[in-house]
Amino acid sequence: MLTTSIPKVLKPFRTTFLGFWVFLAAFPFFWMFLISFRAPVDAFAFPPKLFAPVTFEHFYTVWVVDDFWRQALNTTIVTLGTLTVSLTIGCLAGYGLSRYRGNLGFWILLIALVFRAMPHVVMLVAYKPAFWAMGIWNRYETLIIVLVAINQPFTIWMLRSFFVNIPEELDQAALVDGCNRIQTFVKVIMPVMWPGVITTGLFSFLLAYNDFLISSQLMSGDHMTMTAALSNYIFSDDSLAKLMHGVAGAVSITIPLIFLVLFFQKYIVSGLTHGAVKG
Amino acid sequence: MRPRIQGCSYRLGCVLPNLNNPRKCEAAVKLKTFLAFVGPSVLAMVGLIAIPLLGVIYLSVYNSHVKTEIVEVESSVPLFGGLTKTTVEKVPQPVLDENGQPVKVWEYVGGRNYDTVADPGGLVTALTKDRSQTADGEPAGLAQRLNGMYRDITDIDFWGALEFTLLYAFVTTPCILVFGFILAMAVHSVIKWLRGPLIFASLLPFIITPVVGSLSIYWLFLDNAVIAALLEQLGAGKVYFLKDAITIRTLIILYGVWHVTPFAFVILYAGLQTVPQDALQAAMVDGATYWQRIRFIIIPHLRALFSFIILIHLMDAYRIFEPVLVFGSNLFANSLQYLTYYILNFEDNYSKAAASAILTVIGICILLLPVLRRTYREQKGGA
Repeated sequence: MLTTSIPKVLKPFRTTFLGFWVFLAAFPFFWMFLISFRAPVDAFAFPPKLFAPVTFEHFYTVWVVDDFWRQALNTTIVTLGTLTVSLTIGCLAGYGLSRYRGNLGFWILLIALVFRAMPHVVMLVAYKPAFWAMGIWNRYETLIIVLVAINQPFTIWMLRSFFVNIPEELDQAALVDGCNRIQTFVKVIMPVMWPGVITTGLFSFLLAYNDFLISSQLMSGDHMTMTAALSNYIFSDDSLAKLMHGVAGAVSITIPLIFLVLFFQKYIVSGLTHGAVKG
Repeated sequence: MRPRIQGCSYRLGCVLPNLNNPRKCEAAVKLKTFLAFVGPSVLAMVGLIAIPLLGVIYLSVYNSHVKTEIVEVESSVPLFGGLTKTTVEKVPQPVLDENGQPVKVWEYVGGRNYDTVADPGGLVTALTKDRSQTADGEPAGLAQRLNGMYRDITDIDFWGALEFTLLYAFVTTPCILVFGFILAMAVHSVIKWLRGPLIFASLLPFIITPVVGSLSIYWLFLDNAVIAALLEQLGAGKVYFLKDAITIRTLIILYGVWHVTPFAFVILYAGLQTVPQDALQAAMVDGATYWQRIRFIIIPHLRALFSFIILIHLMDAYRIFEPVLVFGSNLFANSLQYLTYYILNFEDNYSKAAASAILTVIGICILLLPVLRRTYREQKGGA
């Protein structure tokens, strides 16, 4: 590949730059993992220590004493719920948008683009009094449907771009063979859509899993998600022990994400590039 | 010679369906079927985004306050020697309904909440104030005058938050484009087996939960944590990163660059795979140098991707929230989304929060207007 070749002079710079970047990218994680296994004295020792006695005390406190498993369970419920609903209605809409020729499709996508730009706190101002009045505060269903709606603009854009790449001859063939629209969609199109669904699913997962603002505001007590519960540790007071529990919590939230990248790196890359490159 | 590439005009508008280029229409769905397909999704967006937006507009022009009445309260204050003094005072007290709850009054106030948030009066004062002399009576230079004006403007919460939000957006954008591009070129040029691990490491800052990502940076820069301690050991003295406006702003911007560079990198990296090899070949035959190839072939080829990254990043940068929350930096570096969050949660004032939210929305609409207009024109006018 010609794009690959770079002048010899630049090679040392390239190596330095890449090394520097990998260090920058990984160091905050490395250090967070490192100090999560240390006593507070060692974690914030002067001068900083690379090696120190290992302790699992923070993880024990967070998971066993403070019931972090309950929050992990909540996160699982909310994330999976959001994922399922979001993909179901998103696939329907994405398929519709990719096969419709009228002006309406354009307007829906354009307005969705504006909705995607909305800061989430804007909607939160309305949700707070409305959900309180309706008595649907602090429930899984509420948070799930809110996260689904907030992620819809992104989801339909991405799924649509995957559906557009599926040739319409496939639809035609199915229609000629006597399938109706729904049958065509379910039996013919969806089976070849899996890469798109997995990629979009990954991003929906990340959006739901990583959300802090909405989750921390709509849920409380036993229904809190992991990310929201983290604020208990970091904003409650300044004691070092609490802070170390926060580090252990943060590490617990990070581990599933690392596995996600390990297993689905290809899909994440293809997803990010899909909307942009193939459009 | 300037090699140009034909037929690879990735434009932002291509992200939208091209309506004027109908393909075979047999497979196209009819309006009724279309509505059935998009129905649930549109319903969700209307119900939980559009209607709440209208609700916020409604909230922003009303004010609710607790109805009060003046009550005469008799109180006795003990004086010395067992004597007490009885006074009768007129005190405002909340009116209670039959359940013992305070009665709330809902009152239309027009633009008053917007006035409270954006403080146009204060803004005008800040702009027109006479600054020809410094505090000690010396004539002030232009820099001093501008600095004073800047301070007065950013002292108003809303304008201060807007200032840092825009600063963050417009400083991080070029940084992520440049770093992302260099990174993409670098990763693209290393041997194959190394690319996977490099992409893996690069993706970490991008997929991490923003709160956790901000925290991981925050913990590095705490007063006694590793970076400060290392700097002290190296003889740089004690540095308090989180106590100073300049360092805290730099940290948040660095966090932003760290968090979003991978996004730009991955998109540009994928774009690099599609650079037409024959154009490069031709350019090399003509004796184009490495820089010329980058400037005249690769960058023009990636132009649409650059605008895509800018669009997405501006949207996301405009709603920066987590680092401001985690760094507790709202005094030095506030963001619009954090401002509304703060009014909502700590001032507990829905109407003021609504006004602040609407002003935020107006801001993003202005920011997006050029993009939307261009997309619209390409759809309606072009091809």
